[in-house]
Amino acid sequence: MWRSISWWFTFLVLLGAGLWPIASGSATGREDMFLILMLVTLASSLNILLGYTGYVNFGHIVFFGLGGYVGFYLMHRHGWSLGPAMIAGGLATAALALILGTIILRLRGAYFALATIGIHEAVRAFVANFEPFGGATGMSLNFAVYQAYGGAAQALWIAYGVLLVVTLLTVGISFAVKHSKFGLGLMAIREDEDAALVLGVRGPWAKTMAYALSALFPGMVGVLFFFKNGNIEPGDAFRLHLSIETLVMVMLGGQGTVWGPILGAALYERLRGYLLTSPLFKSLHLAFAGMLLLLIILFVPAGVIGWLRARFPATRRVIA
Amino acid sequence: MTRWMKTGGILVVLAMLAACAAPTPPAPTATPAGPAQPAAQPSPTPAASPTPAVKKIVLGFTASQTGKLTKESKEQVQGLQLWLEDLQRAGGIRLPDGTVLQVELKFYDDESTKERVQQLYVKLINEDKADFLISPYSSGLADAAAVIAEQYGKIMITTGAASDSTYEKGYQHIFQIYTPASRYLTGAIDFLKKMDPNARRIAIVYENEKFSTDVVNAAKPYAESQGFEVVLFEGYETGTTDFGPFINKIMAARPDAIIGGGHFQDGSTLAKQLFEKKVPVKMIALLVAPAVPEFAQLGDAAVGVIGPSQWEPGARYSPDSAKAAGLPWYGPTVDQFVSAYKAKYGYEPGYHAAGGYAAGLVLQKAIEEAGSVETEKVKAALEKMDLMTFYGRIRFDTGKAHGKQIGHEMVYLQWRKDASGNLIRPIIWPEAAQAAKPIYPLSR
Repeated sequence: MWRSISWWFTFLVLLGAGLWPIASGSATGREDMFLILMLVTLASSLNILLGYTGYVNFGHIVFFGLGGYVGFYLMHRHGWSLGPAMIAGGLATAALALILGTIILRLRGAYFALATIGIHEAVRAFVANFEPFGGATGMSLNFAVYQAYGGAAQALWIAYGVLLVVTLLTVGISFAVKHSKFGLGLMAIREDEDAALVLGVRGPWAKTMAYALSALFPGMVGVLFFFKNGNIEPGDAFRLHLSIETLVMVMLGGQGTVWGPILGAALYERLRGYLLTSPLFKSLHLAFAGMLLLLIILFVPAGVIGWLRARFPATRRVIA
Repeated sequence: MTRWMKTGGILVVLAMLAACAAPTPPAPTATPAGPAQPAAQPSPTPAASPTPAVKKIVLGFTASQTGKLTKESKEQVQGLQLWLEDLQRAGGIRLPDGTVLQVELKFYDDESTKERVQQLYVKLINEDKADFLISPYSSGLADAAAVIAEQYGKIMITTGAASDSTYEKGYQHIFQIYTPASRYLTGAIDFLKKMDPNARRIAIVYENEKFSTDVVNAAKPYAESQGFEVVLFEGYETGTTDFGPFINKIMAARPDAIIGGGHFQDGSTLAKQLFEKKVPVKMIALLVAPAVPEFAQLGDAAVGVIGPSQWEPGARYSPDSAKAAGLPWYGPTVDQFVSAYKAKYGYEPGYHAAGGYAAGLVLQKAIEEAGSVETEKVKAALEKMDLMTFYGRIRFDTGKAHGKQIGHEMVYLQWRKDASGNLIRPIIWPEAAQAAKPIYPLSR
């Protein structure tokens, strides 16, 4: 990995894009990039299960919401600072995935996909009625909390910086998995699970690890997002809609590649952001975005990166 | 060849990334305040200096043009736009030093989601250089916007956002137009007690989300303190379309009255199904839905349903009532507002529209009082404000819950049919504002 051109290329491009708002000091740029990096992390982590292992997860966002809740709870009720709370949020969701994975990853195909929706709904209903997490009203941070980070404006920059690190870590892990023996096992499962088992891939173990790994990062990002937001409610934390958008991002960019989710997330977000604020499209942006996505899925099913790699084999060396 | 391909590939990806990272082109989305408007209207007032300096100020907000809050948000924006029109007709805000301020509205679609709200408010402040902010519709979105407004020290008038919790977080620049959620249903309980001393049992069925939960969590202890027994206290999920199971539970609990609800969609569905199942209660009071004019589409199912409202076209606030209360009056009268709104949009305004208008009006008054657009001076003017408008009394808490509305009172309306069979919604509570004799008990 450390001698791979494509890794360094990926790393530097992401780092450059992430540092750009910091260098220019633009708060608007930071907000835009915050959303992009958040979605890149969500899409890249989803890709570990969806792209590499071939298991469709409709409830990916449950880890984002639950991680956010755990971290927020620790910050709000126990006065933890952002860093430890974030790590706790991530570990909690990874642990949940580990437990759930051993049960539901025995299911395959559509049955697994359905189970993920079930998990999403169950967790949301649980949190909405769980009093320590504030029930339906959720929790909110007092504005004074941000003083500990040098004021609210400073706190946002810190959250952004931490997010950048998490994003780089996610993409790094995604890259490492893809180029490891573990990753090869996952891809063997994707191509033909029974054959993989016969060849000696430890199927259930590998799938569960992939699931837990893909749950770790959304949990951490959730804490950052809701810290920045200042409050958390079940409705915002568990938006199935966002789960599906994340799937679209991965498909758009190209599933099973490292670059696919990055590009997919960035393109999708910029597109929506542009349409939303453009005077011409602002009333029609959903229709426009939907049509565009339909065209892409119909004509470029492998996604942008998949198409690029197939059309120009030379790009495979730099674009993982 | 391959070398070219490789370089080409890298360039393409870099170009895409650059495009991604580039800031969105500035997209001015101004509503009417175009250049065509009379810049410096020759003012007839002799006091004004001969050539008043004209300054433009930007008022920024997001509107939910897509997503689940479109209906309420649209009304709110229409109210705000009407305020702007009235202001332009009057020639803008005149400051004591002779400067005339022309207001421009800038807004974007927030898709009814928090991510967008925060992103767009940062954009409004930094790129569009908004001088003042108005909140998006709904407590949740306003709460997300409040964090940003406070971080940048911008004044934000919140309207369409009633939750109490936003104002208990230590914000200094957020000012609430709505009566807070904790006082939404308490009047319905007073009404029930007055109408029927024998009524004892109340069922509370509510949407399991922030605003409705805030309301019923305050209403429940209030009902109990008034001697009622809460026989059912049950939340339903946002987006519920089948209330069958809840209605069965309500039937089993044999309440005298049902209070609760949530927003427009679920509230009107609940009212409809309560009617279809002929639930035998004496009073139904629901949040939000009955106060939206479209509630009339329920027909017979709407009859008798009570709704708390921030304001109604039949409200009896007037310069005289202001004088009686020892308060200054400001802005149009109720009739002027209602007829102007009707003329522009073709139907009577509900309270979302009135709240939008009032938000603009309050800001306008504060700027006039401050004689400046400086945030701290306008903030001081808002803190001192205590006046009466067509929308009711406006006064803000300056203590621990800074910015919370403490002057404004709710009214309660009840749907009924008039002589010609059209659905109307006169005010029935408080007694002082009663426009019709209440229907009690419901005949079902």
